[in-house]
Amino acid sequence: MNTLLKKSGKNLFNSIYIEENAYDYPITRMVLEKFPDVPVITIRNYKDIFNRGNQCFQLQKHRQSLILAVKSKQFLYKSPEVCQDFGYSNFYYTSFILNCIFNCEYCYLQGMYPSANIVAFVNADEFIDEIQNTLAGKKAYLAVSYDTDLIGFHNVIPYWNFLQDFFAQHPDINVEIRTKSANEVFYSEIQPAENTVIAFSLAPQEIIKKFERHTPPLAARIKAVKSAISRGFKVRLCLDPVILNSGSEKLYEPFFRNLFAEINPDKLKDVGYGFFRMSKDLFKRIEKQNRKSQIFADDYTIKEGIVSYPPDLIKMVMDNHLKVLQEYLPKEKIFTL
Amino acid sequence: MIFIVTALMLEAAPIIDYFKLKKDMTIHPYSVYKGSDIALIVSGVGKLKSAMASVFLYNLYGSGKNDVLINIGFCGTNSKRFNTGSLLIANKITDIDTGMDYYPDVFFGEGIPQIPVQCYSKVVKSTDLTEQKELFCDMESAGIMEASKKFFFSHNVLVLKIISDYLEPEKLDKAKLKSYIEMNMTILDSIIKEMKHLNEGFIELNLEAEKDLIESLCLDLRFTQAMKVILTKEVKRAGINGLEPLSSLKEFNGIKADSKEEGKKYFEYIIKKIRQKSV
Ligand code: SF4
Repeated sequence: MNTLLKKSGKNLFNSIYIEENAYDYPITRMVLEKFPDVPVITIRNYKDIFNRGNQCFQLQKHRQSLILAVKSKQFLYKSPEVCQDFGYSNFYYTSFILNCIFNCEYCYLQGMYPSANIVAFVNADEFIDEIQNTLAGKKAYLAVSYDTDLIGFHNVIPYWNFLQDFFAQHPDINVEIRTKSANEVFYSEIQPAENTVIAFSLAPQEIIKKFERHTPPLAARIKAVKSAISRGFKVRLCLDPVILNSGSEKLYEPFFRNLFAEINPDKLKDVGYGFFRMSKDLFKRIEKQNRKSQIFADDYTIKEGIVSYPPDLIKMVMDNHLKVLQEYLPKEKIFTL
Repeated sequence: MIFIVTALMLEAAPIIDYFKLKKDMTIHPYSVYKGSDIALIVSGVGKLKSAMASVFLYNLYGSGKNDVLINIGFCGTNSKRFNTGSLLIANKITDIDTGMDYYPDVFFGEGIPQIPVQCYSKVVKSTDLTEQKELFCDMESAGIMEASKKFFFSHNVLVLKIISDYLEPEKLDKAKLKSYIEMNMTILDSIIKEMKHLNEGFIELNLEAEKDLIESLCLDLRFTQAMKVILTKEVKRAGINGLEPLSSLKEFNGIKADSKEEGKKYFEYIIKKIRQKSV
């Protein structure tokens, strides 16, 4: 269990806001049972809380509240281009949760929402219905842990328990669950499946320490990767975002080598590799509100509305990094963006 | 700055005594009492009055979103869960006239019970109630919340309620009411400390002095707009890294460049200096 979730409910959530019409769902009852000591506040609509003006994102992150809500459409979205599609044209994502239990400094969620509170939608069945209506019969790719970390949140709401049977019956829908969590319990509780990939986001420990607040350390994540592999899960490693900050590119080669000394690359489905990047608008919004962030004070190049490192720097670093990665994995197994 | 709004002088008096606030004799529309970082205003009864008084106070002394707005006052209830004199924190405020709900972020006051408060425009008596639902009624909280929306962060507004009666306003006793406030003063004090502490950890980088200096350097050294943007970024980065870019900038204060070329040389030199200090 990750350390964040080991704390009592009282420490994990400041308050639990519940929409009037969200009480009568199994997920809500489960949460209320799990956190009996957290103040509960009844609300009409999650947006009354989530979209309020003058919320301080970084402060709320330290005292985040949970908002339980009933989502009305839309349940499924076409994926934006800044994401790796791993070769699928039908690439969708869905968000059972808005916001994330972790607090990575480079995370675009800081600019996406006015609040750091976590909204968890309790009507999982309606999500499943829409996934069925839109994707059944198509060869599709679905990211289910997209604007959040579903496995990191598993001990609060085990969404995957509601989903795994559905996906087992729809082998054409390929599912990616992306995570930074080291929650090994997850891999013993759920069943591996052909169409489910666990995508572990990994970074050098120095980067984790500096920019991925509240996430488990690298060693714990590697342990979780190994545990998932040994339980028969398909595993992808996401070496993304690579951060180039005060010479940090040098951290990556030893990190890669250590990673593949621990994890047998032949057992991996593939590897994703990409640099820190963000849409210009999101970047500006975060830069304005997170005035103490090193990452958002750095110099970048803006190309086609995307903020990232200068292309020649990206090329140079990527060439070096890919050379190392290709010592362990064939080219076709490395996806770059 | 901590702004405290009370409806009545009766509620204000123990706070004025506790924090040793002094009446500001220059202010006439309201009674305002000041300490070094606390200002208290007696608004009068009702949400319109509490909203007006909050804005008045903010206009007088407000300095930014890290200011704190606290309403402390009485509320009546039909619930016997709490004794009279109990201190409670409102985590939801409903304006009964408009149906609007307001939600302050309550990040402090560990152990103090939290309640939803209904804000009415007239005194509520138990005989007026038609339903059995638990109610906590006051007359100012919605005004406080409406005013705070404009000027304060959602964690910097606090509605503290003390139970005065069980919706039997005719039985209220002034001396008793005053003692309820007195009884809760140390808790109010510790909450104020908590709120201040919370904000201190999150104050934005203060680079005001640097900004002014950059402005004058840009004029004196003939920097272009693009150079100004780069310089500002470098200064900010140095600030984030805990260094003091101000000292590097000060070295160039008062120097004038005769040409753009000369200015460019100074520019490169300044950037180099800031970076050297930043490594
Ligand atoms: S784990 Fe992912 S979604 Fe969560 S804060 Fe970090 S970057 Fe954002």
